[in-house]
Amino acid sequence: MVTSFFDQFSSPLFMGIPLMALALLLPWILLPTPSSRWLNNRLLTLQNWFLGMFTRQLLLPINHPGHKWALILASLMIFLLSLNLLGLLPYTFTPTTQLSINLGFAVPLWLATVLIGLRNQPNLSLAHLLPEGTPLLLIPILIIIETISLMIRPLALGVRLTANLTAGHLLIQLISTGLFVLLSLQPAVAILTGALLLMLSLLEVAVAIIQAYVFVLLLSLYLQENV
Amino acid sequence: MSSMLRCILRSICLGCHDDWERNKLLLIRARRGRNKGARCSKNLALHPTNMLSRIIIVSASALKGSGPLGAGLVQASRSLHTTSQSLAPVPPLPEKGGKVRHGIFPEEIFQLLYPKTGVTGPYMLGTGLLLYMLSKEIYIINHETFAALSMGAIIFYGAKKFGPGVAAFADKLNEDKVAKAQEVKDVAMASLAQAVEDEKKEQWRAEGRSMIFDAKRNNVAMLLETNYRERLHMVTNEVKRRLDYQIALQDLHRRMEQEHMVKWVEKSVVGSITPQQEKESIAKCITDLKALAKTSQATA
Repeated sequence: MVTSFFDQFSSPLFMGIPLMALALLLPWILLPTPSSRWLNNRLLTLQNWFLGMFTRQLLLPINHPGHKWALILASLMIFLLSLNLLGLLPYTFTPTTQLSINLGFAVPLWLATVLIGLRNQPNLSLAHLLPEGTPLLLIPILIIIETISLMIRPLALGVRLTANLTAGHLLIQLISTGLFVLLSLQPAVAILTGALLLMLSLLEVAVAIIQAYVFVLLLSLYLQENV
Repeated sequence: MSSMLRCILRSICLGCHDDWERNKLLLIRARRGRNKGARCSKNLALHPTNMLSRIIIVSASALKGSGPLGAGLVQASRSLHTTSQSLAPVPPLPEKGGKVRHGIFPEEIFQLLYPKTGVTGPYMLGTGLLLYMLSKEIYIINHETFAALSMGAIIFYGAKKFGPGVAAFADKLNEDKVAKAQEVKDVAMASLAQAVEDEKKEQWRAEGRSMIFDAKRNNVAMLLETNYRERLHMVTNEVKRRLDYQIALQDLHRRMEQEHMVKWVEKSVVGSITPQQEKESIAKCITDLKALAKTSQATA
């Protein structure tokens, strides 16, 4: 069997049993459950603080009807964050490298925002297709362009997350392979490669957090437009 | 039969210590059974389990302390653990997490192995395991090992550098919560202490109440006295006026009488002067005047 660098992204199977559900459920086991005590341990206190701060910050620019989305956006953020960060550990499978998962998050949520906008305030949501102050001649072209950009949003959301994480993982694999091979051949270069790997790992941690945040932020932005 | 009932009642009373209602209920039930007639004694003789089951139920509810409910309710709450009885008292949280050595390995393993292998036991175990896995190629060193090493280095560095800060932050969050509640409690206590002080002051003020009353009483007495004196004065004045009036009246009378008398005397005198007397007096007057004129002419 010839292994390639893309084998890390194949959907995990164990004797024919797909383990995707397990991979998706793993973060849930690791996060502490809120308790009814008044003072909690450090982990739970930090989680509560983070969720409160994040939700407040995210929902700040959104009108009151959009506050119904607080739960799903916050839980989506925690989910993506934990999936991305856990995927950086060795020998782990990152579900968010699969386009299916990311599109599965992006398309329904984006479509929900669009439909909410078209249902409750059709004039306002259609008005978003034409930015203010455009010259008269450009209007038809601009509407077409804006519609295309609207339709491309879910694709962009999903592919952005997939591409970033996949690229990151691939780079880590490549550079660590290079380090592994160079260690016996040219140790000096290997040291440089090692330093590069360290930087890259740091970058990947940052990218994992930022990509999760950007996903949720863009969704909240689309919500803000339409609600 | 009634003696048997009494025995049963006594056994129940031993089981449940206080509830009159339950005994009454049982007595009512027993009486109702008795009213059913001759069947009753047969019931007691042939079906002792009925009464016994009632005893069990009653004593169970007595033990549970939930009152004379039906048996079904007692069993239901016991099996579902939905009442707060199963949650309270809440066991206290441990103050610190489980002790770990080198960040990952729980202290319990070291304690477990200490009697047999001493202090270096777990380390030998770890090293042996690692070498075993490497040499038997259960774990193969490949590129992912280096990725794991770099990620591990980042995690280690992050934990060492930011760990205490984050822990202090979490502790501070909890402490702020406690401090807020403590402040409420302190403010409440301070306000209550202040209220106690104010109350004491009011009580001290209330003690001086009698002085105020005395002063007010004196005030009132003085006012009354003044009023009385004024009225006395007024009365004296009035009486004096009336007496003066009487005096004036008497004076007037006397004067009028006097004048009247004088006038009458004059009138009678003037009336008694006859014309002849008048002429004589006039002639006398003329001769007197002439004589006077002569004397005066002479002197002049």
